[in-house]
Amino acid sequence: MSIILGVLQESFIYAILALGVYITYSILDFPDLSVDSTFPLGAVVTASLILAGVPALFTLPLSFLAGGIAGTVTGLIHVKLKVRDLLSGIIVMTGLYSINLAIAGDKSNLPIFGQNTIFDNPLLAKFQGSKSADVMIVMITFVIVMIVKFLLDGYLKTRSGYLLRAVGDNEVVVIALAKDKGMVKIIGLALANGLVALAGSVYCQKQGFFELSIGTGSIVIGLASVIIGTKVLKRFRRIKATTAVIVGTFFYKACVSIAIAFGMKSSYLRLITAILFLVILILGSGREKKRAIGA
Amino acid sequence: MKKSIATLLITTMMAMMATGCGGSTTSTVSTGQKSESNSSKTYTVGIAQFAVHGSLDNCREGFLKGLEEEGFKEGENLEVLYENANGESATGAQIINNFVSKKADLVCAIATPMAQTAYSTTKNSDIPVIYTAVTDPVLAQLATEDKKPVGNITGTGDKLPIEEQLKMIRSILPEAKKIGIMYSTSEVNSTSAIAEYKELATQYGFEIVESGISTTADIPLAADNLVKKVDCITNLTDNTVVSSLPVILDKAKKAGIPVFGSEVEQVKKGCLSAMGLDYVELGKQTGKMAGKVLKGEAKASDMPYEVIEKASFYGNTKVANELGITLPEDLVKSATEMFDTIDTLS
Repeated sequence: MSIILGVLQESFIYAILALGVYITYSILDFPDLSVDSTFPLGAVVTASLILAGVPALFTLPLSFLAGGIAGTVTGLIHVKLKVRDLLSGIIVMTGLYSINLAIAGDKSNLPIFGQNTIFDNPLLAKFQGSKSADVMIVMITFVIVMIVKFLLDGYLKTRSGYLLRAVGDNEVVVIALAKDKGMVKIIGLALANGLVALAGSVYCQKQGFFELSIGTGSIVIGLASVIIGTKVLKRFRRIKATTAVIVGTFFYKACVSIAIAFGMKSSYLRLITAILFLVILILGSGREKKRAIGA
Repeated sequence: MKKSIATLLITTMMAMMATGCGGSTTSTVSTGQKSESNSSKTYTVGIAQFAVHGSLDNCREGFLKGLEEEGFKEGENLEVLYENANGESATGAQIINNFVSKKADLVCAIATPMAQTAYSTTKNSDIPVIYTAVTDPVLAQLATEDKKPVGNITGTGDKLPIEEQLKMIRSILPEAKKIGIMYSTSEVNSTSAIAEYKELATQYGFEIVESGISTTADIPLAADNLVKKVDCITNLTDNTVVSSLPVILDKAKKAGIPVFGSEVEQVKKGCLSAMGLDYVELGKQTGKMAGKVLKGEAKASDMPYEVIEKASFYGNTKVANELGITLPEDLVKSATEMFDTIDTLS
């Protein structure tokens, strides 16, 4: 039972990150590598704010904002300075490393044990009743990921959201509508990195500390979740892509947990992830080809 | 057809997980053999290590020895689950979750981030956590100023014996003025050690020249730069720097300056000498604490964290000969271990 709760907690937190990666990877077709640094950015902003006495709930929008700024920078570098997409992300990822350190006051580890967080505060204690703390964490993370999902679904239906989808699919459409496609890309990147930083904030509050290295491998987790979710659940047309991404994250995290539980050497985890990636991509592209021929 | 692809996919993944299980790190217990000293109960201990690292491996080895001295023998009345997070925080949390779900009797967390993860993840269970290789448990908020645990968690600290190291360098190199230290800006233990080095260095007539790096790739350039400025280099237990030790040793050798280590493994690999911690010993001390908790003699939440007081001297005579340096006799006499070869392989 506790392992399921653990997987659910991890999945819901990383699903927020995966939704961000979904915007860049799937919608914008932009390979954004800055994620590995915007995730710890959200965490460090949160830890510093909490230590400064800012109420935990406010750290969520503020982290989102910080991530949004980072995403905007990636966008500006790409759009205005005409640097290639992959490189823009790498540049921001590299620079953010130092900025994250600076925010933490040149410390690579900031513990916030014992501080009030969104998972541990007097108000929450009143609602908890007989529920275990793990169940509470699952509920809170679920509520957050659902709010994010519905806001994102809503946004994608707006005019700005349609343009975002159009930029990834067919840039000509956007230009034909006399819209600035650069601006649309910047908005998308800001939104995506905002979500990633938000995930970092929630993660930091759950774990009780910020550590500079927590971003390591987060782009892989994000991509794996998006690919598993969107490719596997594609045939169920009723299911929204955002839901698919959340389910994908759960599936990925569950696989990792199963692997660990069965005593697999954790040093093989990355190889397993790589194979998983490849298998899903191959299966996915096979179907796309068929459809292309059919059309 | 489409459904069958999905089924195939899921089966493939499950199969991969299953095949991955071949190289199991979990040691299972033969329940047939039962220890005489203890009751017939088999205890499960989950060891979670943050990264692959010589010192941390030694800690783990020592931990099992310590448990054995307390009467818990792997394969008899002890089941050991060992997992390594490979430096990934997300994996670390899942490893601890797995231990919790398997109802481990005790979790041993090796290195600071792992200890913090173990603390937050086991908080809602009654599983005690024993950590080791946490440089500053107070700074990591795992203990209060008076060494008392913050929860059901205690262990051992591996703070470097910096003053002893400075004394040793002074006695080996009476003329030296500048000591170079390379460290990664991302490791909290290194930054606090640097601060202490700076504070104490003047007492021994040294000046510290620090060189911060952010990735392994920065090391060759930083080393080139550093060897020109200093009379010797001393290492911390910095994971990134230590893993690239051969590069630094090579550059220092070319510049004709000695490199001092911070623990035995580094001296084996070609550092001149070290006033360092014996990580096997540290692990052993940790294992004994764990043994007491398992026996019910003490509660993790009541035990103050422990440190190793004594620093041990390690020297490498081959390196000394190459550099034309004679190690002072009193140091050599007090040595815990002397090496006359350079082990480049391990």
